[in-house]
Amino acid sequence: MLSINETPVRTSKSFNINNININEDEIPDKTYEFNNVEIIGESSKIKIDKIQTPIDLKYGLGEELTNQVKTKSNQNYQIIVDSKTNKEVTFNFNFDKENASLVENIDITANEGTSASFIFKYESSKSLKAYHNGIIKLNAKENSKINIIIINLLSDESNNFLTIDNTIEKQANVEYTIVDFGGKKTITNYYSNVKGDLSENNLNTIYLGKDNQVIDLNYIAELYGKKSNVNIEVQGALKDKAKKNFKGTIDFKTGAKKAKGEENENCMLLSDTAKSLALPMLLCSEEDVEGAHSSSAGKIGEKELFYIMSRGFELKEAQKLMVRANFNKILENIKNEDLKNLVLKNIDLILN
Amino acid sequence: MAKTQVEEINRNVYDIVDKDNYDFKIEKGITKEIVEEISKQKNDPEWMREFRLKALEVYNKLEMPTWGPDLSELNMDEIATYVRPKTKLNNSWDDVPEDIKNTFDRLGIPEAEKKSLAGVGAQYDSEVVYHSMKEDLKKQGVIYTDMETAIREYPDLVKQYFMKCVPVNDHKFVALHGAVWSGGSFVYVPKNVKLDFPLQSYFRLNSPESGQFEHTLIIVEEGASLHFIEGCSAPKYSKINLHAGCVELIVKDNAYLRYSTIENWSKNMMNLNTKKAMIGKNAQVDWVTGSFGSKISMLYPLSQLNGEGAKTEYTGISFAGEGQNLDTGFKAIHNAPNTSSVVNAKSISKNGGKCTYRSLIKISPKAKGSKSSVSCESLMLDDISVSDTIPVNDIQTDEVEFSHEAKIGKISDKTIFYLMSRGLSEEDAKAMIVRGFAYPISKELPVEYAVEMNNLINLELEGTIG
Repeated sequence: MLSINETPVRTSKSFNINNININEDEIPDKTYEFNNVEIIGESSKIKIDKIQTPIDLKYGLGEELTNQVKTKSNQNYQIIVDSKTNKEVTFNFNFDKENASLVENIDITANEGTSASFIFKYESSKSLKAYHNGIIKLNAKENSKINIIIINLLSDESNNFLTIDNTIEKQANVEYTIVDFGGKKTITNYYSNVKGDLSENNLNTIYLGKDNQVIDLNYIAELYGKKSNVNIEVQGALKDKAKKNFKGTIDFKTGAKKAKGEENENCMLLSDTAKSLALPMLLCSEEDVEGAHSSSAGKIGEKELFYIMSRGFELKEAQKLMVRANFNKILENIKNEDLKNLVLKNIDLILN
Repeated sequence: MAKTQVEEINRNVYDIVDKDNYDFKIEKGITKEIVEEISKQKNDPEWMREFRLKALEVYNKLEMPTWGPDLSELNMDEIATYVRPKTKLNNSWDDVPEDIKNTFDRLGIPEAEKKSLAGVGAQYDSEVVYHSMKEDLKKQGVIYTDMETAIREYPDLVKQYFMKCVPVNDHKFVALHGAVWSGGSFVYVPKNVKLDFPLQSYFRLNSPESGQFEHTLIIVEEGASLHFIEGCSAPKYSKINLHAGCVELIVKDNAYLRYSTIENWSKNMMNLNTKKAMIGKNAQVDWVTGSFGSKISMLYPLSQLNGEGAKTEYTGISFAGEGQNLDTGFKAIHNAPNTSSVVNAKSISKNGGKCTYRSLIKISPKAKGSKSSVSCESLMLDDISVSDTIPVNDIQTDEVEFSHEAKIGKISDKTIFYLMSRGLSEEDAKAMIVRGFAYPISKELPVEYAVEMNNLINLELEGTIG
């Protein structure tokens, strides 16, 4: 057994949330070629080189997974952003029989005053046993503005491991939207070093769990910069025997005067065997801050369902509408209509 | 704008050290021989002697906690686990030796008993030195006595419940407690008996480099009702003292128990206490807790809602000053349908003190129709202090309503400005805000019953903000 995705601060072992255990054989020894990558919207102002860069993480999923990317990656991208106006680049990682295992390292540097959007989409055929272990490292320099959308549509048989590590400098603004639908296990470690004064980091996630799916989200934001701002919004729904662990940490460090941090997590339980485990942490060593978190879980309101059903919808349709309504605010971040429709189509498929 | 100055809790009356005038003090450390000697000194029945030795085996097997405050300063080889004061159990304050009685007089205990309590127990170091209860309650079948007397006089009741609610393998310090426990109170409230006034037990640890391991066992039978108050304090020494008490509450169907604690241990105390309630059908347990003292506290009372419609409420405040690390919180396990838990936790950190709210709300698959609502608020009074919130919410079924909210921050400049525009001085405005912050908790504390609580909440918080 390997213990991975540890929280930055431990609590009682018996609460079963400090880490998650996986079998060692869930990390394959050998990685094969992965060539099915489609890059759309390349621009002269966004330089993409297929080279490996050094990986230095504060947290990460654990030594084994990090080392796999360091030594056995089959896709490497060094991206340097120089565009002053917002440019969008999409990476479609399409998994199939010949390209079933992706171990990738993406290193993005957004130079001072630049702006760009990236979409990373991981999609596989329905019954493929895909494997994904990726690290996205972002350095957002002064006044840069970076928007990243990650879409996980891997099959139910897949394992999806993702590490994100951001450094956000003065007045930089980094926004993530994560759609986490696929995988038998989908495990994410997200860390932001919100170091610059007036820097900002927003993270919006929607997840959907079904069957025996396990979703383990470990989101950590450390605020160092004065007047820095972090907002974490997580909306999810679980059906069947799906299980979700949400570990969210907002950590105000000494000196982060007038910083603000908010974290909101809501889990809709669509079956009586689904399980929602949450640890929304607020850590604070600075007096002059405003921090808040809220976490909620429960069934979709009977009254709301009744109202929708009285308008002629069946129960399943009514549930879908409610889930969509809760996801809507986050889905608004996806401006690309085709992509948004793909996500909506998948919501329908999963909730059927 | 000047910073709010909230002084540390004034500890004068608590810090008066009485002469370490014991009758017997066990050698320091924790070995089989020491446990056997404690058992012999206490004249244990055979089953208790065996229980202690088994608990010691568990203690030796279990590891130290891998989370929470650093306990490396605690060296069990430096702690005497049993100190018998120079007196027997008394039922009149007049018979209590002068030096011990003076201690309790200073804390206001005999005075509170006269005014507003149905019964009082007082423990000094490892033994209970005073116990008394109003005559009419005895006639109704209420039992309120020290644990040693309970083992002798009500062996079947004690044997049935002792450390069944909190098993010794729960954690290392419960196992330690099982091995060396001494003193504490036993309460039995018969079916449908409702006590109008509270019972209060007060625990005072006077001896340096020692531990207090009192055991409180309360059984509230069906339809009965009780308010129990627990107070704790100790003078300050330079070396570590240890408190590892254990509280077991058995609250049967339709019964009610309110358990209030004011903990004001000295700042050399490691307070590693365990409290748990088993709550029956439509019964309710309310916890009201004020944590002010100790160097390190790790205390998370647990309400196990076992009967349909069982309820629990936790109302707690922690105040951590210089050198203090108060890691406290609450656990509720919903094990039956339509159960409910409400948590209202507040903390104030100042002068480098650290407050942590740590909790678990678990709604098991059996607990359909249950509700839980948690609210935590933390106030930071300077930028050298720390305040952490570490709650775990484990929801295992769909028909539930669960919500958790937490806020952290300093006293708002806008609020101070508003109050000053209404004619208050800046100091009064700040004092009012801190008082207002603590009010939802302090109003629940039985201030009218214990002088000590008045000292802590009113005198200290109100009077020393400058």
